[in-house]
Amino acid sequence: MIEQYTITTTPKYNFPQKPTDTTLPQRLLELSIHSLKHIQNQQIQLNQQPIQQNNKTDTQIHAPSLNLKPTLIPIKPKNQETLVAAVDTSSIKIGETKTGALIAIRGATIWKQNKRYRYIRLGPFIFHITEENKTEVYNALQRAYLGQQNEQNHNYTPNTAQMPTRLATLLERWLQLTTAKTMSNSLILLDGSLTAGTPDTPTNVMREILENARKMGNTVLAFSKMTTMRFNGNLITDILPKITPPFMLELSGLRAKPPLVSFGDIYVARLANGNYAFRLDIDRELPNQKKVEAVERLVGNDLLAQGYPETLRLAHILCTFTANEVIAMQHFITRRYGLKIINRPDMHKLLFGPFGKGEANA
Amino acid sequence: MKLYKKEGNIVQILSFPNETAEKGDYLLIEDADAGKALIAQVIDVQFASIPGVLEELLRSLPDGGEIMQGEDFDPLEIAPHITYIQDASLLVCKIRATIENGENLSPTSAWLPSRSQSTIKKLSIPTLLKLARINGELPIVLGGTKDASLLTIDASSLDGRLNIITGKKETGKSHLSKLLISSLVGYKATVVVFDLNGEYLSLGMTSDGKKNAFYDKIHVLTPAQNFKVALKQLNLHVLLEILIHALHLPGTSAREFRRIWQSLKERNMLTLHDLGEAIRNWHCNQHVRDALFSRYHALVNSGFFTDNVAEATLLEECLFRAKEQGGAIIINLRNTSPIDRQIVVEYLLGKLVELLTGWKLKAVFLFAEEAHLYLRETYWDDIVTRMRHFGIFTTFITNQPDTIRENIYRQADNIFLFNFTNEHDLEVVSRAARVDAETVKSIARDLPPHHCLVLGKVVRDFPIVVKIRALDVKTMGETRLFFKTDQS
Repeated sequence: MIEQYTITTTPKYNFPQKPTDTTLPQRLLELSIHSLKHIQNQQIQLNQQPIQQNNKTDTQIHAPSLNLKPTLIPIKPKNQETLVAAVDTSSIKIGETKTGALIAIRGATIWKQNKRYRYIRLGPFIFHITEENKTEVYNALQRAYLGQQNEQNHNYTPNTAQMPTRLATLLERWLQLTTAKTMSNSLILLDGSLTAGTPDTPTNVMREILENARKMGNTVLAFSKMTTMRFNGNLITDILPKITPPFMLELSGLRAKPPLVSFGDIYVARLANGNYAFRLDIDRELPNQKKVEAVERLVGNDLLAQGYPETLRLAHILCTFTANEVIAMQHFITRRYGLKIINRPDMHKLLFGPFGKGEANA
Repeated sequence: MKLYKKEGNIVQILSFPNETAEKGDYLLIEDADAGKALIAQVIDVQFASIPGVLEELLRSLPDGGEIMQGEDFDPLEIAPHITYIQDASLLVCKIRATIENGENLSPTSAWLPSRSQSTIKKLSIPTLLKLARINGELPIVLGGTKDASLLTIDASSLDGRLNIITGKKETGKSHLSKLLISSLVGYKATVVVFDLNGEYLSLGMTSDGKKNAFYDKIHVLTPAQNFKVALKQLNLHVLLEILIHALHLPGTSAREFRRIWQSLKERNMLTLHDLGEAIRNWHCNQHVRDALFSRYHALVNSGFFTDNVAEATLLEECLFRAKEQGGAIIINLRNTSPIDRQIVVEYLLGKLVELLTGWKLKAVFLFAEEAHLYLRETYWDDIVTRMRHFGIFTTFITNQPDTIRENIYRQADNIFLFNFTNEHDLEVVSRAARVDAETVKSIARDLPPHHCLVLGKVVRDFPIVVKIRALDVKTMGETRLFFKTDQS
């Protein structure tokens, strides 16, 4: 019998009541508890350097004849009251057992309304991932969260090392979908790009997110903190005309390499003073005027320290695990499941002394 | 609690929110395998340095300094574990002793208990007192400790000792002095008190003005009233000390005075009148005569000297009575001018030394309030070294610790320390040899009124915080207030 938890929806931010959606946190929790039950009284080796995973780079897009359109799109801030929402998730490996790894994931949705930030934070959910249960966990969550199996390969399961990121991405896509369905006439900020077709981001999932957003009058803007796209050998975010921000430059000549599909038009956005520019993907299906207007409303409604939206920054901050939380989770699993913490020496540090940077950076 | 670090005689212990320990508490760090345990005292409580706490605090206040509103869906209930870790504290403790085989105490901190295997628990004060054998046949109950037990010291641990009672104003110094005095008198000790503000005059009365058990043993002597000295009783040596140190008589004039005195003594004419006449008619330099005259008038005007021997016997009577049945001689210096005060103190100390040298008295406990106001410079060392051997055991009481010389602190056997907030004051007290500076600075600063940190031999060098017990004694020497309405 799987332990059941009663999940109550929050009075401030109601998730839609579709069957797949309501089972989401419950299923996540059930799987978490189920996976942890098998580790009773085992030994746990703490990670010498817990690996935090919520850094996303953009998905590689083939750019045979990449051009930066010479026309600059100036941005005039629009102060028309608009709700700005952002979603981010984070994962972390908190230790290893004889049979697998203990990981934790957490997601956060932030929105700014009436000049105040609010948030909903889900997690942390802790999983014990082993070679034996990883397929079951991953597929069960895919079914519960997104109502589907991986479209490319029904038997696809990430390797154990990829599991933290994959599980966090599943949670993130679900949060994005839920936000797209529940918010209206808002700006929805995503961390990353609008490129789909990867195991992390199936095409139909991204399509569904964008379609639902459009239906509700929302505009989806995806910010990539890091990009690998280059123009004439330079990163696109390094090529900045000497013009006072805010402005955008549109990229053309991009073609996603199958099976990748790009759902957005790609821009380089420099939205505030300072030398920071970001790759910005905006839902391609929207008229150009609406795309620009969305950015103008973003600039008019959110703080943009260093050109990055505050709402998105807060989403990142709120879901990131601090060292204190990692210790607390380790404390929780040792108390609740009787794990015994062991501290095997870090072989890199042991063998290489100051030159050994730890297993995480090996 | 977990042992975290040991540096020298300081140990740091990690304590969790459900384990309460405060400054002053004692802990027992027991290593069962080694068969030994450390007795350590908490001298500071700090936040444990938990990684990620700064980030945790920063992200809780990103909305213009206000706490961000939101909902946390935390089904595994990790949040209580986060606060549990965040609220962990670090107890900085001073090692006071090692206990071997459950009973042998030694002041060493040279061994290292196991970090993983040691058990740490609070050591109650009664257990500590039992282990340290702080008891004795002449108990003086000082008051209650934090764990509601009584702190009882042995009166004999004050015997032959130099004590200091210090703390800022209105923290309870005089109250403790009265407690010690009455307890010593109860054990038939002879106590002399230099009472600067008339605070001890009613030591023999209860708070409602009735006679208490000590009434017959408290003797109040007020200079120039019931406390006078006849020149015939005076030793030339004592009078010269008064003239030179209290009245600053130059050496040449002192030599002439000696001759005059001897001349009068040979003729059995040691009276105030004859002394005045002798100075007037003495063949000497006019300046010397003037100098002698001015001092003579100072002596006369003090009212402390008399020609009537019958008027001048009370001090010795009181001292001898106290020797038999115990008693406190309170020298009331309240309305005495600074010079007269010095004259009285010079005389009294000289007299005590004389009586003790001749074994007419066994020993005297001397309580001196704000001694810098009447004790000459050279007497400080005298009191703590020479006079101690004669049997004068001094307790200095002051709210200005820097008025007591550093060497007095170094030689102090017991220190009763009340609250001080001033860094400078704490710095001065921390020079005492029987205590470490960290303990003084850390614990004394947080002492509430009437709470005293007892240091030294009375507590076998285990500093203990005690709330001094109430004493049913009539309060005297209260500060006169302008705005206080008359109760009568």
